[in-house]
Amino acid sequence: MRLLAGLVFASIAFAQMRTVTLAGESPVVTLRVVFTTGAAADPEDKPGLAHLTAAMLAGGGTRDLTYKQILDAMFPMASSVTAQTDQEMTTFAGATHVDNLDTYYKLFRAMLLEPGWRQDDFRRLKDEAINALRVGLRGNNDEELGKEVLYSVLYRGTPYGHYSTGTVSALENITLDDVKRFYQRHYAQSNLIVGLAGAYPADFLERIKKDFGVLPGKDSTPALEVKPPAIDHTRALIVEKNTRSVAFSLGFPMDVKRGDPDYPALLLMQSYFGPHRMSGGRLFQRIREIRGINYGDYAYIEYFPRGMFLMDPSPNLVRRSQIFQIWIRPVEPPAAAFTLRLAAYELDKLVKDGIPAEDFERTKEFLSKYVNLLTKTKGAELGYAIDSLVYGIPDYNSYIKNAVAKLTREQVNAAIRRHLRTDRLQIVAVAANAEDLKMRIVGAGPSVIHYNSAKPADILAEDKIVGAWDLGLRPQDVEIVPAAKIFE
Amino acid sequence: MKLCLLLWAVVLFAADPPKKTFPFPYTQEDLPNGLRLVTIPTDSPNLVSIYIVVQTGSRNEVEPGKTGFAHLFEHLMFRGTELYSPEKYQEVLQRAGAASNAFTSDDSTQFYTTFSKEDLPQIMAMEADRFQHLKYSSELFKTETGAVLGEYNKNSSNPDEKLDEVLHDTAFDRHTYKHTTMGFLKDVQDMPNQYDYSLRFFDRYYRPEYTTIVVAGDVDPKRVRALADQFWGSWKRGTYQPDIPPEPAQPGPRENHVDWPLSTLPLLAIAYKGPAFTDTQKDWAALDVLATLAFSRTSDLYQKLVVSEQKVDTLDVDMARRVDPNLFEVDARVKRAEDVEYVRDRILDTVKRFQSEVVPADKLAAVKNRERYQFTMQLDNSQTVAQTVARFVALRRTPDTIDRLFEIYAQLTPEDIRAAARKYLVESGRTIVTLTGAAAGGGK
Repeated sequence: MRLLAGLVFASIAFAQMRTVTLAGESPVVTLRVVFTTGAAADPEDKPGLAHLTAAMLAGGGTRDLTYKQILDAMFPMASSVTAQTDQEMTTFAGATHVDNLDTYYKLFRAMLLEPGWRQDDFRRLKDEAINALRVGLRGNNDEELGKEVLYSVLYRGTPYGHYSTGTVSALENITLDDVKRFYQRHYAQSNLIVGLAGAYPADFLERIKKDFGVLPGKDSTPALEVKPPAIDHTRALIVEKNTRSVAFSLGFPMDVKRGDPDYPALLLMQSYFGPHRMSGGRLFQRIREIRGINYGDYAYIEYFPRGMFLMDPSPNLVRRSQIFQIWIRPVEPPAAAFTLRLAAYELDKLVKDGIPAEDFERTKEFLSKYVNLLTKTKGAELGYAIDSLVYGIPDYNSYIKNAVAKLTREQVNAAIRRHLRTDRLQIVAVAANAEDLKMRIVGAGPSVIHYNSAKPADILAEDKIVGAWDLGLRPQDVEIVPAAKIFE
Repeated sequence: MKLCLLLWAVVLFAADPPKKTFPFPYTQEDLPNGLRLVTIPTDSPNLVSIYIVVQTGSRNEVEPGKTGFAHLFEHLMFRGTELYSPEKYQEVLQRAGAASNAFTSDDSTQFYTTFSKEDLPQIMAMEADRFQHLKYSSELFKTETGAVLGEYNKNSSNPDEKLDEVLHDTAFDRHTYKHTTMGFLKDVQDMPNQYDYSLRFFDRYYRPEYTTIVVAGDVDPKRVRALADQFWGSWKRGTYQPDIPPEPAQPGPRENHVDWPLSTLPLLAIAYKGPAFTDTQKDWAALDVLATLAFSRTSDLYQKLVVSEQKVDTLDVDMARRVDPNLFEVDARVKRAEDVEYVRDRILDTVKRFQSEVVPADKLAAVKNRERYQFTMQLDNSQTVAQTVARFVALRRTPDTIDRLFEIYAQLTPEDIRAAARKYLVESGRTIVTLTGAAAGGGK
């Protein structure tokens, strides 16, 4: 399949729908319909509108069928339609056995092209979105809350400045007419990419193209501009809630995305410093393995929501602006300030020393093989192919393998120095006793760590340096916000 | 394209009750020491997935004060041997571009790795080494208990976890299903003091007779067997057999309540003592199908509570698939506290309805179709093939159980469903737990 990449991307002239196909023998047919629009297109006073629109299509009835009738029809096929709304992409995905393709596709098509816009569906899905914010995110998931607050703070004042699910108060005020208007304006062929994989019939793609040809031709919204404001000085936001431990996320905007010259080098950096949910990363080794402080510690150069539930990143989260981010999993409060300093200390070491020679070749080998695992399912392979089309790169696996093979340690370390930094960080913590945490992270400490077992002398010596590591935070750089006010 | 042709076969024969639901041929062999090897060649070019299933989970934690040790071992297994230090172990995994992790459940602990096929000998050698020669100091042991406490901490902000903990503690008196896989917090906090006990736990359970290796992907079974003999053949069989206390019959309905310190939506769990997993009788499969018919997204109750009345935010159901009898559980997240009793009564009405009425044959047929499509559609890469087989190996130590279970599903009649409801969903075996949060508005 990889060799055919150039032929697979059947990109048609601008302002028409684009298609990505991975024809094969698998009897499971995978459909991914992506619109290159999303939360960044929400009107300023209606954050959450793109999310609710997608939810109405994937979770509501059609003109002819109620939602219950759709569920009943999908049920024996073990199929469904899911929606994912991000800042610049809205994705509808599903898979079915080729036996059931005709029945399934008729439902899929009607859901996207003939929505029922029923008030009772709207009321239910609005409640669902509000509860996702209040209960799912703010109440139950301190880690995801910290990550999303980091994004919304870094992008304040830009089209990415709100969480894609919106805010509780905005969701409460959004009307069904708002949703219909958003659909009519943004669900256009110029935003549409149809992805298809599996043993579908020869004329199936033409059928989809004809059906989706009823959508308006062009979304006339002006091109998106996302310029995150500069950070003048390291600062922290503490989200205060009554919780057992302290979750941290920290980072800064980084102007590198797939296709940019430094992307492969920075992906290699991520594979060394903090590969997602893997024990081999530097942060994981220094914080969890050697010191036993928490459950895990990772680094990212691309948006990766729901990481606590996923081992692999979800595709179709293309963004023109990305951030560098460190995720520190919950820490017992007495160790919180020390752990934050330790992450900053490790970041500083990375920037100053780069990837050590003894780790460099090993990390290259890892990444050039591991990239195959990312596309092990048809759904993922299709998703990555759609993203590659949008980023304007060859298929992801060969793009990474070819680029990584050529990278030298000097090039990677130079890219690290160009894009990473230890000053001008945005730190987000979710914690109880915010004032106490604030006192412990401002200035040069010292923060002390107590272990339940003896540690080698070199670790204890390093702890002294870490404990006194100055994050550069002054009292006026720390803001405290009650959790109930976040995304409210 | 072997995988695809086999999947086709399943469908072509769907009109007759098919004999084979699991579409891949496989070999199953026992080494002289009792270690079992299951090898499944699939059409996944270059990739191999290994699942090592140890039939030891929180169910095996029979001593008071020692809950959570099966899970602790999932962590300790990454702490190295004389031959492979943790650093060396990491290096091998990294050079293989491997994705590797582990998890623990009530009945098993599973270690999995997915990698390129050329690294198979190296991975087999290294895995064999750590299962036979794990060696960790008391300092490293204590450090790892910190990571386990960290895991408890990251879970603790979720009220669903607390509800689950209290439900099992309330429903069970003697059986080890009384505690969750994480264990009781006091036991987790005491772990740093239990180094000697940890050595005993390893000596008991990390033995070939408890272990099955599942290998799926671009592999040749003969080659895999040779590697198993070479690296795992000298592993010594153990002698320990845990005395897992049977759960006595529950004398009457039980209730419990959790006050959650933060603002959250009310949670309601209604559970009944169900049967153990079985691939020879209808009980378990009948309750599994009943769960779908009565409480899944296409059920009348879901339609009423979630879609029409919109009193409930989420409605979930599960007939736990476990070695010993476990719970049939319905969970609802209710939008307003004043509706909790109403929702509870509607769930209880539904249970009564399934005890008195037989389900329409077409609805039962739809569930059977769904089960079959759901099962085969997920087998689209070597990792999910190995993972799926490992889930069944944790129960019966063989993939044969998959086809046996699906044969039972095929034979189920509407009367079987009603009989299972009458036998198991009874008031005396019922436990209801509710959870309510603090009043909204406080930010603390």
